[in-house]
Amino acid sequence: MLWKVAWRNIWRNRTRSLVIIIAIALGLWAGVFASAFVVGMMHEKIDSLIKLEISDFQVHHPKFRDEQDVRFFIAEPEKLIEGIRREEGVRGVSERLVVNAMISGPGQSGAAQVFGVDPEREAVVSGLNTYIDSGAWFEGIKRNPIVLSHRLAEKYHVKLRSKLVITVQDVHGEITAASFRVAGIFDTKNPPFDDRQVYVRRSDLDALLGSEGKVHEIAVSLDDHEQADPMASKFAAVRSDLEILPWMDLTPGMRLMIGMLDTYTYYIVGIIMLALLFSIINTMLMAVLERVREIGMLMAVGMNKMRVFSMIVLETIMLTMIGGPVGLILAWGSVNYFGKVGINVGGSAYADMGFAATVYTRLVPQTYLIITLMVIGMAILAAIYPARKALQLNPSEAIRKI
Amino acid sequence: MNEFVIEARNLSKVYPGAVDVHAVNHIDLQIENDEFTAIVGPSGSGKTTLLNLIGGLDRPSTGEILVNGHQIHDLTDNQLIDFRLRHIGFVFQSYNLIPVLTALENTEFIMLMQNIPKAQREQRAIELLNEVGLGEKLHSRPTQLSGGQQQRVAVARALASKPDFVLADEPTANLDSESAFNLLDIMARLNKEEGITFLFSTHDQRVIDRARRVITLEDGRIVSDIRQS
Ligand SMILES: Nc1ncnc2c1ncn2[C@@H]1O[C@H](COP(=O)(O)OP(=O)(O)O)[C@@H](O)[C@H]1O
Ligand SMILES: [Mg+2]
Repeated sequence: MLWKVAWRNIWRNRTRSLVIIIAIALGLWAGVFASAFVVGMMHEKIDSLIKLEISDFQVHHPKFRDEQDVRFFIAEPEKLIEGIRREEGVRGVSERLVVNAMISGPGQSGAAQVFGVDPEREAVVSGLNTYIDSGAWFEGIKRNPIVLSHRLAEKYHVKLRSKLVITVQDVHGEITAASFRVAGIFDTKNPPFDDRQVYVRRSDLDALLGSEGKVHEIAVSLDDHEQADPMASKFAAVRSDLEILPWMDLTPGMRLMIGMLDTYTYYIVGIIMLALLFSIINTMLMAVLERVREIGMLMAVGMNKMRVFSMIVLETIMLTMIGGPVGLILAWGSVNYFGKVGINVGGSAYADMGFAATVYTRLVPQTYLIITLMVIGMAILAAIYPARKALQLNPSEAIRKI
Repeated sequence: MNEFVIEARNLSKVYPGAVDVHAVNHIDLQIENDEFTAIVGPSGSGKTTLLNLIGGLDRPSTGEILVNGHQIHDLTDNQLIDFRLRHIGFVFQSYNLIPVLTALENTEFIMLMQNIPKAQREQRAIELLNEVGLGEKLHSRPTQLSGGQQQRVAVARALASKPDFVLADEPTANLDSESAFNLLDIMARLNKEEGITFLFSTHDQRVIDRARRVITLEDGRIVSDIRQS
């Protein structure tokens, strides 16, 4: 009967209860959906970042990344590459020469990082070819083709088929230069990337450096990013003379960011819940204060403090628990729907910032469970203060108000 | 050793303030089983205070109260609530009922708190509501009942817990005279036929006439104590 009383009490002030129920439902829905949107957006950003810039794992001479010295080649790469290729889940392997160079165009010169790649293999690993919107990925130019970004093309005043001179220090420390012609121009919407990296054929750069077929970097892309860590460790164990690192260790802060992304939802929902918490407390406090006489009467005729407390707690929890599931079901439905269909944010500022044009909302399923627990926790927390307030009533004084 | 249902010894209640109010001022009082007693007196004479002290709703400044020989002043708050539940029936001037419950549920509620099984409490609640003439209104909510009917539900509720006695503080104050008489008739009948002890306050002369004993208060003191037939 206590349940019956609590339930009916909720509907005594129908409007007020409905308002708070709707607020809870909408708050949860908005919170969960918004975080699923952000998580989805960030994941896509991370995915494309991994693909384009980092690949799943990379192999270097242990000093290469720090010192960028042209002579730090990967020792005996053949068997390692063979071993990687044989591994299941490996999508592509790209061997790269990486060198800091000076680029000169008509009237302008500057520093850049020149990648010497095998075009087909690189295309599989980084997919940079898909960002080309002018010219083609190492096609159309026979001798010394170069691929660079629109930003750099503008900076050096070059167009397709224009000539650029690349000046480097070769393996002997000699300054040497060669001219290249623009075969393709890309735009990754990622200015730091676009401003730094230019691509030439590995054989052309090899000739310039005198590296005799050796490489600085092996980039590996996998079908599943999750496999990067175990696989990198596995090869690192075999080749302790090399530095073999998975993507999350190649970019500083990435591990932290991924970890934060998973907890992001709880922060958003937590903040919304905090706001809801105070609204619920306020609503219940009003409900208690309105019923001072009635609660006083109940205590007078023999309803003990435990029961009074339970009645208010029960009422608060019920109130919260109507809105909670409604909000979660709405959230679950819409997150699933837009997880499949996607939300088009093309043309918006997001897309210009290099985020995907279509965002697929996503949320780890266990999030719903945790949020459900958070809602229950919120209900209990919200109940305590009003229920304690009810207990402080002095029945004789409450009755006197009659 | 004690034949009194209620015994107050040297009972006082002082409300401290700029000028202390001696709401109940050294009262000695004994109520026997089966009494049908009215506490009368002008407004502010201390009727409510006295009933609240006897009912364990308030604690005396000095003096003691015994219910069936048991001291109640050294009980803790929770023990006192439990004591009220088991030994005292209450009827207040108004707000006696839980608005969201029907007459039947309101009457059952007090037995629920005594952990009486569902079937038993429903049967007793129906019996009691029949006794107060509300057999037809079992499923009405308080708002669907007249003031007099609500007070009759309150009497049924007060009796549901099988108390040692019923305290009623101005139970007729909000009723028209017909309803007031009707309520008094029911109370008198329950007193006569079932031997239920009633102690009620009033300042309505026609209600006073129905009491078998009339205790008059003035400024917190008993100024007369008359048994009438
Ligand atoms: N909580 C309180 N604080 C101070 N004075 C009070 C309080 N309650 C009652 N009184 C005073 O005690 C006196 C007796 O009041 P009460 O018992 O309500 O009388 P009655 O019920 O006969 O009208 C009155 O003077 C009243 O003002
Ligand atoms: Mg009074």
